[in-house]
Amino acid sequence: MTVEEQIRDIVARITRVDKSIITRESTFKDIKADSLDVVQALVAVEELFEIEIPDEEAQNFQNFGDFVSYVENKVAQTEKV
Amino acid sequence: MSLEGKLALVTGGGRGIGKAIALKLASQGADVIVNFFRHRDTAQETAGEIEALGVKAETVRANVGDPAKIDEMFDTISTKFGRLDIFISNAASGVGRPITELDVKAWEWTMDINARALLLCSQRAAKLMSGRGGKIVSISSLGSSFVLPNYTLVGVSKAALEALTRYLAIEFASQNICVNAVAASAVETEALKFYFKEGMAQEGHHLTPAGRMVAPEDVANVVSFLCSEEALMIRGQTIVVDGGTSVGLLALAGKGG
Ligand SMILES: NC(=O)c1ccc[n+]([C@@H]2O[C@H](COP(=O)([O-])OP(=O)(O)OC[C@H]3O[C@@H](n4cnc5c(N)ncnc54)[C@H](OP(=O)(O)O)[C@@H]3O)[C@@H](O)[C@H]2O)c1
Repeated sequence: MTVEEQIRDIVARITRVDKSIITRESTFKDIKADSLDVVQALVAVEELFEIEIPDEEAQNFQNFGDFVSYVENKVAQTEKV
Repeated sequence: MSLEGKLALVTGGGRGIGKAIALKLASQGADVIVNFFRHRDTAQETAGEIEALGVKAETVRANVGDPAKIDEMFDTISTKFGRLDIFISNAASGVGRPITELDVKAWEWTMDINARALLLCSQRAAKLMSGRGGKIVSISSLGSSFVLPNYTLVGVSKAALEALTRYLAIEFASQNICVNAVAASAVETEALKFYFKEGMAQEGHHLTPAGRMVAPEDVANVVSFLCSEEALMIRGQTIVVDGGTSVGLLALAGKGG
């Protein structure tokens, strides 16, 4: 599974929406994610990929795609070290 | 320096009230383990300030709402130190919404972090205090006994926390572990901005007979007293730190007579 697929699974599980409706353009509002969903998704993703996503960074995510790209970059960085 | 040589763990000790508690215990000579969740940088800064007081500091990440993470945190402490003298259950989170908008997820999130964590952490802390005694202090709020706007879930979790504090105090009494709670009224921290609208601080001054809002240090002072040998005979109590707000409201409203 790609990073994107894994994150989509997590977000769908937490927000209880069908994962087919989550595209890279979806905003958290489109997915009906409230602030608690967002925190839970961040924490679940942090644990799965063993990375940290500071709140200051997460606040800049406009949509699901931003979230995925951020994690992809972080994962790539940690693999390099 | 009444706490010299003692080892303390403060959950959510990186910022806000937890930070004030961590610094106060450190100023009394205790080494402090600062637990954090989502703000590593802040926790590390706090650890730096603790070390500047001439004691040792550690940071440990753990979501205290997650039993597995609590175990990992205590396994780390157990391996590294093999003991603990003071445990402060300060970390809290919550969902500030009207009752009609609360769901199971919000309930579980709030209760797990604010109430269940005290149970699970105290079980592990007591093992590390075994044979040496110790102090456990939980941080509560006036919302456990009084109704505050959009505070239902946190208030209920704090009521559970205070009840649990009483039960822990009695069951751990024979092991020379003192357990108490400190309940504060509104304290000027980040959390306050989240629950209450702007201007709350202003109102807070008027609603506090003592003439100013409670500061994080006011809470920390009482916590540090409860961790001292002078407080040995206080068990299972919730000490209210509110500048007189809870008992003085009617008088302030001019309805006292
Ligand atoms: N502020 C008030 O007006 C007030 C009044 C009465 C009582 N209290 C009580 O005082 C305590 C501290 O409040 P505060 O205002 O200082 O809080 P705050 O500014 O909101 O900070 C919350 C603290 O708890 C930590 N935390 C949150 N969720 C956590 C989790 N799942 N696992 C581990 N740590 C977690 C945070 O760590 P990270 O930043 O690393 O995530 C942070 O250190 C709480 O128990 C609160 O209920 C506050």
